[in-house]
Parts: sequence; structure tokens; C-alpha cells
Amino acid sequence: MNVIEINQLTKYYGKHRGIENVSFSVEEGEIFGFIGPNGAGKSTTIRALLALIHPTSGSATIFGKDCLKYGSEIRRDIGYLPSEVFYYEHMKVREVLNYSASFYDNVDYNRIQSLAEVMDLDLNKRIDDLSYGNKKKVGIIQGLLHEPKLIILDEPTGGLDPLMQQKFFELIRAENQKGATVLFSSHILSEVQKLCGRVAIIKDGTIVRVENIRDMQKHNYKKFTLDYKGIIDVHHFNLEGVTNLTVRENTLHFLFKGDINRIVERLQGQNLLNLLVEEPSLEEIFMHYYQKEELP
Amino acid sequence: MNIFKKEMKANIKSLIIWCCAQVFIIFAGMMKYQGFADSQVDVNALFDAFPKEIMVVFGMGSVDITKVAGFYSVFFLYFMLLAAVHAVMFGAVVISKEERDHCADFIYTKPVRRVQVIWPKLLAGVVNILIFNMVTFAASVFFIAQHNDGNGLIDKVSLTMLALFILQLFFLALGTLFGSILKNTKRATAAASGLVMGFFILSVVVDLYDQLAFLKVLTPFKYFEGAHLMINDQLSFNSAAILLIVSLIFFGLTFVAFNRRDLTT
Repeated sequence: MNVIEINQLTKYYGKHRGIENVSFSVEEGEIFGFIGPNGAGKSTTIRALLALIHPTSGSATIFGKDCLKYGSEIRRDIGYLPSEVFYYEHMKVREVLNYSASFYDNVDYNRIQSLAEVMDLDLNKRIDDLSYGNKKKVGIIQGLLHEPKLIILDEPTGGLDPLMQQKFFELIRAENQKGATVLFSSHILSEVQKLCGRVAIIKDGTIVRVENIRDMQKHNYKKFTLDYKGIIDVHHFNLEGVTNLTVRENTLHFLFKGDINRIVERLQGQNLLNLLVEEPSLEEIFMHYYQKEELP
Repeated sequence: MNIFKKEMKANIKSLIIWCCAQVFIIFAGMMKYQGFADSQVDVNALFDAFPKEIMVVFGMGSVDITKVAGFYSVFFLYFMLLAAVHAVMFGAVVISKEERDHCADFIYTKPVRRVQVIWPKLLAGVVNILIFNMVTFAASVFFIAQHNDGNGLIDKVSLTMLALFILQLFFLALGTLFGSILKNTKRATAAASGLVMGFFILSVVVDLYDQLAFLKVLTPFKYFEGAHLMINDQLSFNSAAILLIVSLIFFGLTFVAFNRRDLTT
């Protein structure tokens, strides 16, 4: 069963494009990644799902019900963490969370306490005294306190230190194992790869493709940067799997997909000052996707 | 109920300040009355010497201010102004504050329809203006009684407060409409206070120039006259009906506009 089904969803803000003909679906029980650079339309899509904005055309359903028509009913079972978390500033953390809980039936108030302990958050502080990361924790707790069946996370990890990110991922995995479906939006590929089974990739308001993470890892691109001592023989790396080859002064850049040993072989006997192997940025991967699409 | 409580709590401080200001105005105003009454000067003759324009701007166009009811009727103009600013600001802010404070994502992703958020906010607004009205009533009766041998003119003041409440409702509705239509709180409050100012200037202009009297219908400040209420014990039914109907329409439009609104983060 599909928990989320988005059908040709389009949103224009006046003349500005938000998203165009976005379609994808999220199955029950999966952790679905939604990835794209900033401004690509991730938040617009999510805000339309939550009926915070009205789509220009197209539709979306959650739990099989129309997002706009049955919004309030659907939202009973949704936990949402916005990308930028702000709360009524003059309130205490506990007050905000209790206020949040007051909108749901049968909330277990002990859960607030236990989630706060896991996330290491002081419930007695005032919201205005919290750091960005701690506000984010408040957001995480208010998104999870009613044990939602669908968790929507919009760039959730910003401001969290690595340890907290780890705890947060564990929390999300645990909820997922209890049966919650997760829509996880991010512009960081590695965190999506860590958590998600499938991803939709969005760029400039349109879905580029929907893929299994396993398939994506098959196109496991590595970004190579080679600093040479002397003159560079560009043709030396002219082999299958190498793309985006550029030379700038004594530095050679390229992306490589395939058996890494082939590159290691080629590196033998090269007169190098430095060698850097990195994960390519999302932009670079996207550039590649586009190049592929343009091919006949 | 939780939203209503939250709004009441959020507004309690400002309501107390507004009420204190109102009580002080009534207190200070009635002190002046005592000054008039004690001095042996013929105050009416004195004011007759003033240019009409000045008397009109201060709301003392045509009443005998040596009588306590006449003197108090002049207050009505100031009550209207204060109450209008209070109500219109409350309305404009209460509707749009979540977006201003960037917590629209918080409340509107809860399992409530937008109507269910707006209702308690409106209710909180009505309760706030009602408290403001009751405080005005109590302070008026108390201070009038002090300068009128213990007679607080409860009937006359009640009628005046009823008129005031209808105006408050109108301005609350106007404020919520601005809050739901305009892009943000800043614009809503700016437009709302600008319009209140415009209404006031118009009400002065129509008093000054008789040939412009037909413009009276355009400013709510001319729908009720302090003197009619306090001296003739008359509240214009037509005025009340028009203001209430327009208020209802504004409230209705608020719901419609807010439902269609794209909420910003």
C-alpha cells in the first residue's frame, strides 16, 4: 500500500516556479529519501502534502485520502519536523511540547520525558534560550511524541552535532521498525544513503528520477583530485568510467564510476604531489544525471 | 480550547495595559470636570469663544459640558479611538502572528482544520474587547458617581458601552480581515491603523463642512454620537444593524480568505 501518492503536483508562486508535475509514491513501512539541492522544491512539495500551501494543479493523497480535503484527519497520524524550527518564544520547552500534545488524542506524556532524555534536552528551559540545535531537538520530539504512522522530516539534521545525528537516526530507525513510514528530505547524499531504501531526486522543481539506493550505489561515483609535480598526461586517464575530466594548472579532476582497482593501476608510476579521493557533491552527481538524460 | 487559552494568556499583559490606560483617561478626565464645576467661570461662554474647528476636533461640538452627562459624552470620541485601535490591532495580529513568529508550521500541521484555529482566536478577541468594554463601564460609573453625588448614570453609560462594543466588534472584524488577506502582520497592522486614522479624519471633516455630511456613512466613528447616547438616551438602530452586518461579513471573509491562504514559514 502507498502511504503517500503524489500525482502531477505543480505549484507556482505567482510567476515563480515552486514545483512542476511532481509525481512519486512512498510505500508503507519504507524510509524514503527526498533529495535535491537547496531551492529545488523539496519544502514546497512537503508543504503541499501538509496542506500548508495550495497546489496550482495536481493532487496528492496520504493514507489514500486527499491531502487538502481530509487534511486535519490525515495529520492526526503525521509527525512533521520543519527545516527551520521556530516556536512560541516566550514559552518553556515543556509548555510547547504539552501544547503540541494537546492537539492529539491519547498522547502518552511519559514519552515526552523519555524522548527528551534520549535527545539530551532540558525541558525546563525557555525556547528563546535554546541554541539552534536544541530547538531542532524540540522539533524532533514534537514530531514524534504522538507516535505518528508517517514521519515527514525536512532537512532534519542541520544544527545537530554528529553524536546527536547518530541518536536521531537510531530514533528514526526504531520508529520505522515499529511500523512508521518516513519521508526524509535532505540535500546531503550520504545521510540519505545511510538511512533510506529509495530516493526521489528533485532538481529545479521537477523529479529527475526515483531510484533504489542500492542501484544508486552501483553508480558509486568517486571524485579524484590529483596534484602533479610535472606535466600532466591527460590521456593517461582516458578510460571507461571516467567523466568530467578537467585540468587546471597542475591539478587534474575527474569523476570515476567502476572498479576502483583500475584507477589504482593507472596511478602507478605517476609523479604526484597529492591525491584526494572524495564523495562527489550532490551537484556533481546531478550534473551527471543531466548529462545522461541529454544523451540519445 | 487549548488555542483559546493560549491566546488569552498571550494577550493578558497587553489587555491589562490597555485597561489601565483607559481607566486613567476616565479618571483624569473626570478630574477636569471637577475643575470646571468648581470654578465659577461660565465655561459654555468661554468655549463659545473658541473657533468651531477646535471644538469639533476635540469632540465638543454641541454639548453642554457643565453637566456631567454632557461632559462625559465628549469622552466617547476618545473611547472610540482607543477601542478601535485596540480591537483592530488585536484582530490583525491574532490571525497572522504564527506566520510572523515563524510557527505557522507548528500549529497548522496539527490535526485541526484552519477554521478550528481561527474560531478560538476570534473568541479570544471578543472576550478581550468585552473585558476592555466592561472595565471602561466600571471605571466610568465609578468616576461619574464621584462627581455626581453618587449617581453613576448606569443606564446612560450602559447604552454608551453597548454602542462602543458594537464598534469594537466592527474593528476586530476589520483587523482579522486585514490579517487574513495581507501578506504579513506588519502590513496588516499598518493598513489597519492607517484606516482607523482615515476614519477619524473623515469624521472630523464631515463635522467641519456641512456640505460633506453625506460622507458620514463612510466612517464608523459617525455611526454613534456621544451626545445622543448620554443625553437623549438614544442608540441608532440602523447604525447598530449596519455595523453588525458588516462585521459578520468581514468575519466571514476572514474565514474564506484564510482558508485559501498559502502559509509562509
